[in-house]
Amino acid sequence: MMQPQHKPHVTRRGMIAGGTAAIASGGVLTGKGRAVETAAPITIVINQSPWFDSFRRTVAEYEKRSGNKVNLDVNPFAGSLEKQRQSVRSVHGQYDLLVMNSGWFAEMYFGEFVEPLTDIDPSFKLERDVYTLDDTVYFDAAKKVMAASGKLMSMPIAPLIPLLYYREDLYKSTGLKVPQTFAELEANAIKLNHPPHIYGIVQRGARGTASVSYDFYPYLYGFGGNVFKDPGAGDYQVTLNSTAGRTALEYYLRLAKEAGHPRTASIDQAEVILNMVTGKAAHIMVVAAAWSQMDNPDKSAVVGKVDFAPPPHARGFPTAPGLGHWLGGVSRNVPDARKRATVEFLNWFQTRDAQMFYARAGGIPISSAIYNSPLAAEPRFRWMKAMAEALPHAVNIYYFPQASEVTGILDVGLNRAVAGEITAVAALNSMADQIYHVMASNGYRTGVL
Amino acid sequence: MAMSTAGRPVAAVASPAMPRARHRPMRRRGGFGDDRPWRWAFFSPALLLMLALGLLPLVNLLTTSFYDVTWTRAAAVWHGVALAHYAALPADPLFRAGLVNNVVFALAAVGGEMLLGFFLALLCSRIVRGTALYRTIFLLPILTPGIVIGAIWKLMLNYDFGLVNQMVGLLGLAPQDWLGSPRTALVAVIAVDIWHWTPFCFLLLLAGIESLPQDVYEAVHIDGAGFWQELRYVTLPLLAPAIMVTAAFRVMVAFKVFDEVYLLTGGGPGTATEVLSYTIYQRFFTENRVGYGAAMSVAVIFLVSMLLVLSIAARRKAAAEP
Repeated sequence: MMQPQHKPHVTRRGMIAGGTAAIASGGVLTGKGRAVETAAPITIVINQSPWFDSFRRTVAEYEKRSGNKVNLDVNPFAGSLEKQRQSVRSVHGQYDLLVMNSGWFAEMYFGEFVEPLTDIDPSFKLERDVYTLDDTVYFDAAKKVMAASGKLMSMPIAPLIPLLYYREDLYKSTGLKVPQTFAELEANAIKLNHPPHIYGIVQRGARGTASVSYDFYPYLYGFGGNVFKDPGAGDYQVTLNSTAGRTALEYYLRLAKEAGHPRTASIDQAEVILNMVTGKAAHIMVVAAAWSQMDNPDKSAVVGKVDFAPPPHARGFPTAPGLGHWLGGVSRNVPDARKRATVEFLNWFQTRDAQMFYARAGGIPISSAIYNSPLAAEPRFRWMKAMAEALPHAVNIYYFPQASEVTGILDVGLNRAVAGEITAVAALNSMADQIYHVMASNGYRTGVL
Repeated sequence: MAMSTAGRPVAAVASPAMPRARHRPMRRRGGFGDDRPWRWAFFSPALLLMLALGLLPLVNLLTTSFYDVTWTRAAAVWHGVALAHYAALPADPLFRAGLVNNVVFALAAVGGEMLLGFFLALLCSRIVRGTALYRTIFLLPILTPGIVIGAIWKLMLNYDFGLVNQMVGLLGLAPQDWLGSPRTALVAVIAVDIWHWTPFCFLLLLAGIESLPQDVYEAVHIDGAGFWQELRYVTLPLLAPAIMVTAAFRVMVAFKVFDEVYLLTGGGPGTATEVLSYTIYQRFFTENRVGYGAAMSVAVIFLVSMLLVLSIAARRKAAAEP
């Protein structure tokens, strides 16, 4: 029996694909310093934050340099979380790179929704200068902890931490020294407090999604306290109502009373920043990303008058800003080609060139190389010195998927204390009790003082 | 034996004055002329669709409320907890605060809306000219989207530059943190709700007043009744069904309030403006506690249904009274 003769079968689609590949590879060889890659198009789901525009411009630069296509799906904060949840819970994910907030990255790690970067590309490594942010880029799946012993799960996109913003012009005119300790901050805030013209400090005391709780963390950590005993090691004994916690909350409330805004209990982050740019605040403590608004003449009445410092701390403790950062993780449920293309983007994003571009575009660099570069000496980037000092001490807040429950408890309890509904002690004990129940009901190793 | 509505026995045979029931040919069940199977055949698709749209989501919600749901990779993991979520509700501080605030909110807001709506309806029922103009003006708040109402009142109640504090300043009083103080926050949200929903009550009550029989009013005028007597003995009793329906509808909607709280206060300060819908939003969406959020939703649906049952019972009782 004769075998049927197979002729080479060339379809029209095959010819187009082949031609495109030939043109693309030719482009790589002949391009004038501009690589034309053939990586799969990727989609990034991201929130509309103050730093988003710098990220968008950096992505556009990547597209220009690599020839790869990147789509951005931009959402409000809560909308971004919902879209990410929908995508990772389906069989086929819509988004390749998830830009995850500190409040929900643990949910993505524990749920195995993101794939370790080194599983996608075994040769992938974080650049030496990239911050690992209290090792939150790693996850040890066996021990369920974020530790360098685990796998590399993500890469920082925006290493946000709070900084102390202060009116440098007022400091100069009154001869004050930049505060390093809480006692110095309190003394300076009282001295500069002349309400209603200007408040010594404006705090973010409103209840919200990680609103007053996020404002309180640098005080809690800076006094040596913590919500849990050793969350990094999986010890979730609730220590919020320890002596350190009480000292921190009483200090926070005293600061609000003696030198703060009269309605601290209802002030959210936007209003804190508004008070600073309208010249009504001598100090604020907000995320570094707000720096660009201080020198924007369209928004600010204090252009060139605001300087930055690491969050103060109690004597004997280091500065300890709470992480409010954004991490980029690759979805597990997308095709391999898109995963590889996403890692390719991340690989470029962490380079010194990309980070320099990101910084100049108004972003917060993820690499210490930028903070130590001549760029940091430019007046426009005077916040970088404070960032470089504070970032190595940044503290992870959210170690477990139920962190949003704990944050919700903290926001209500702290807000009630700020509003004067209950005392600091009552608030701490009530919050500690509720947090203990959350941890116990979810099977964590926990206890109370 | 048939009974009259007054409970007196009446003859089973219709009197000549009574209209005769229309003669309908009897068809033997299952016989050739029985069209009931056809009626069901044509009706059942619509019935099934209605059941699917109306009941399935509720059944799904109820089922979910007995589970803890987590996700790993692309799969949902369901862990049965029986009634644990329901048992946890009374101990939930936000649920408790939300329940109390909801009751206060519903009573105060609906009370205010009904009083104002009734007063305006009474006033406007006597106006002959320009009815289209005043009705349009009065209806504006319910035509305004919730998000716009949030923006309007957030600005109006702003501590630093809000119109309300500017007016307070003109009176020589100190500005108030209307949305930020535990003493005033719930009152402020109730005031906004009254502004928002009074036109709804006004509209329904005005329609009720305008449909009242005029001959009764003419009769009481001839008898020399004054305004208050007319109101007390004629208008209110005749309008009672419309008042009941309006109040019942508003209480149910007030119990579901969400947008005003979300936009104006976020439930704060503390738990001063926490309401059940906002608690569900937090537990279900923010904290991702799907099973517990479902249990809370079922509890709220039950509460609102109870209000509906009570209002129907009250209406029946009022209708049965001579």
